Order: sequence, then C-alpha cells, then structure tokens
Amino acid sequence: MVDLFSLALLHGLLALAALRLVLRDDLDADPADDPGTGDAGARDG
Amino acid sequence: MRGRAMVDLALFGFVAGFLALGLRRPFLWVLAYLYIDIVAPQKISWFLLASIPISLIAFAAAFGGWIAADDKRDSRFTLRQTLLAVLLIYCGVTTVGADFPAEAAEKWSWVWKALVFAIFLPLTLRTRLRLEATALVMVLAAGSIIVTGGIKTALSGGGYGSLRFFVNDNTGLYEGSIISCVAVAIIPLIWWLARHGTVFPPDWRVRAFAAALTFACLLIPVGTQARTGLLCIGLLGVLSLRAVRRRFLYLALMGAAGLIAIPFLPQSFTARMSTIENHKADQSASTRVAVWLWTLDYVKDHPLGGGFEAYRGNRLTVQTRDVEASGNTVAVEVDEVEDAGRAYHSSYFEMLGEQGWPGLALWLWIQVLGLWQMERLRRRWAGRTGPRESWQGPLATALQHAQLIYLLGSAFVGIAYQPFVLMLIGLQCGLWSYCRRIDSGRIVRRRDRPVLTPLAPPAIP
Repeated sequence: MVDLFSLALLHGLLALAALRLVLRDDLDADPADDPGTGDAGARDG
Repeated sequence: MRGRAMVDLALFGFVAGFLALGLRRPFLWVLAYLYIDIVAPQKISWFLLASIPISLIAFAAAFGGWIAADDKRDSRFTLRQTLLAVLLIYCGVTTVGADFPAEAAEKWSWVWKALVFAIFLPLTLRTRLRLEATALVMVLAAGSIIVTGGIKTALSGGGYGSLRFFVNDNTGLYEGSIISCVAVAIIPLIWWLARHGTVFPPDWRVRAFAAALTFACLLIPVGTQARTGLLCIGLLGVLSLRAVRRRFLYLALMGAAGLIAIPFLPQSFTARMSTIENHKADQSASTRVAVWLWTLDYVKDHPLGGGFEAYRGNRLTVQTRDVEASGNTVAVEVDEVEDAGRAYHSSYFEMLGEQGWPGLALWLWIQVLGLWQMERLRRRWAGRTGPRESWQGPLATALQHAQLIYLLGSAFVGIAYQPFVLMLIGLQCGLWSYCRRIDSGRIVRRRDRPVLTPLAPPAIP
C-alpha cells in the first residue's frame, strides 16, 4: 500500500511535469537567446 | 497478483507516454533516461518492462534526439567533461589488465554508460528550463524511492538492512547507505526547486510538498540505520549556516529539534549510531579500516591500480575490542576475525585500489574543480535580484552543498561512479557552461555597444 501510494504520487508529479514541459516554448530556446525579447542580465550589463 | 499486473501496466504506460512525448520535444528522452536510470522501473516490473531493454532504448533515443533534432550552437565541452572522458578511457585501459577480468568487465558494463551520460548531459542543458527540468526529474525520481522508505520508517522504524524499498535489490539507489547519502544530498536541491521552480511555481502546496519530502529524506538514515546518513545530516546542518540569516536562532532550533527527536528514534538506531565513536568494537567499521590499510599497501606494488573489483584479492585479519565497565571493573573483550574479499566501503579507496594514483587524482580533480566552479558561480551571481538572474547563485550553492554531502558520505561508501552523482556532476557542468555563455554574451554586447563620439571635431585652441 505504501509502495503504491509513493509510486502513484511521484509518478503523477513526474507525468504532470513532463506535460507542462512539452507545452513550454522556453524548453528548447531560452528567452535570453532571443535578441528580440532581451535579457535582464544583458540589459544591465 | 492482479495488483502487481496493474502496477506493471501503469509503469509501462508511464514510460511509453514519457518516450512518446519525446517525439514532440526530444529533450524529454534525456529526462526519460534520467528517470529510468534512477528508479529502474524494469526492476519493479514483473513482466512488461522487465522484458524490454528500456534503459538502452532511452539511452539511444536521448543521443539520437540530440544529434538529429537539437540545436548545438550553444553546446560547450567543458574541462570537467574532458576529465570525465579521460577517466573513462583510463578505466577502460585498467579493465583490460584487471586482476579479476570477469568481475571487472561486469562493473565496466554500467560504469562506462554512467560516465558517457555524464559527459553527454551538459551538451543538452542549453536553457534555464532544461537545467530546472533535470534537477526536478532527478529529485522526483529519487523521491519515489525516498517517500516509500520515509513512510515505512515512520510507521515501523526500519532496521539495518531490513528497510525494503520497492524491490529486494541491494544495488544502485536501493542500497541503504547509498540512498541515505543521496537523500540528504538532494535536500538543498529540493529547496532550490521550491523557491525558484517554474514547472511547479512556488506556492503553499509546493512548499508543503518540499517540507514533507525533506522530512522523508531525513528519515531515510534512521530507517536504513546507515551511519553515513547521520554524518551527512550533520554536514547539511553546518552548510545551512551559510544560507540562514539568524544563525544563533537556527542553531537553537536545530538543537531543540535534535533533542525532541531522540526519544522518538528506534533504540536499534541510537545503538548503531553510538558505534561511530567506538568503531573498534564494531566489526564492520574495523574491517573497513583494515581494507583501507590493505589498499594503501596494495598500491605500493600496483600504483596504476588493479582494475575494477581489485578488492576481491584482499585477505584480512581484524581485531575488535569491546570495553565494558561495570562498577570498579573494566572488562576488555578482544576478538580476532578473518575476512576476505571485503569491498572498499569508501569511494576514495575504491578509486585508489581500482584506478591507482592517476585515477584517484583524476577523480579528485573532477570533484574539487566542481566545488570551485560552483563557488565562483555562487559569488558571481550572489545578491542579484532580477527575475532572470536570481536563480543561478542559489542553484550553484545547492549543487555545491549536494556535492560536499556526497564527498563526506562517499568516504564511507564505495560510490565513486554512482550514476546519480555523475548526473549531479553533469548538471554542474551544464550550469557552469550556461552561466559562462550568458556572461560572455553580456561582455560581447557591452563591447558592441557604439561609443558615442562628438559629431563636431573638437575646437582647436
């Protein structure tokens, strides 16, 4: 029972994280890399 | 039986779904490999996953996806990756001439994969979200083992060698001392994710989960009764002093928490922890010291190491000494125990015995360089509050603390090539490379900024 609870909880969170990651544009390209959007770090440098 | 079949199906569905998402975003194959290598769902499974080489599939998909579909412009090969590559080649050479060729080949079969993945991982960590996702998957995957161990400890108290995780397996993170060390080492990462995460943005639910997971992590050394874990918790307490503002209040609270916790600890745990001080009475600790002395002696004749599993050649005679005081009399009981083929029980001696002085030097170089790089990042990015520059310093600190805890724990456990720790090193290399790129971009932009010159020539006096 404990094993099942732990497996379900953590795998549920892993699945949710994977789904959220797939929908994020910044997974493959950092907004900082895009000269159009700028970067807080770059602006103040 | 039906329940096990359902778990099998659910795990199969989870892995298949994770790999399918990689078709849309190939980086998810890298995360899938991290998950499979940490949790080893094929060991939990009875038939479906156990019959498929999922680790190999994820390994091939991660590499293939990066080669075929990923942008490589921002990928950098760091010095530590080069050192890992040299260590990989050196281990390959010592395996060829190993004292125990068959056993050495068996260890080599998983060590090379862990080293290759640690070299490869930083090449894929080009964005902030990828760094975070890697840390998140590592924490959640290890957390799936830790939560079950933590709950069982809370319910039953655990016991040395008797705390059962998902499987009756004593390898990888399912081994008591290793999971104790790793559980404590990831606590700083848990809190970095709770404060700076964007996949699960900080709110009360994230903080509550982080607190519960931290508690489970702290229960693992109690449940496994691994002395290493207690030392790691002590170091974590000391390292946390660097981060807290009110240090005296923190020390008082930690002391009070420790005193309150003692009555709730199982007696077998406190009895075992007391052998840290009196190691001569404990055969396991005395044998450990004897193996270390044997290793130092061994490398006098084999300075280049004996290859993987060279410890199998040791023959030891260990004296244990137990002192018992009763009133005015003190009874000293001395036992002599013969032992052979005892493992190193220390990553430092594991490296020395198996890879000799060059291998130990390389390994230490990789470790110390990591500490130094994280310290540099920590200082360089300290005190920044902008939304895109406030996470780097704390992540460097978390990774540095995780590594320091590992380096202490590994003094008593042979985990020099532990894949989870090599992933942490890969994450450090990725962060180092990322921050250097951001910084160099900033310098280039500063240089490119046009210099304002007066339109009219200066007046000649």
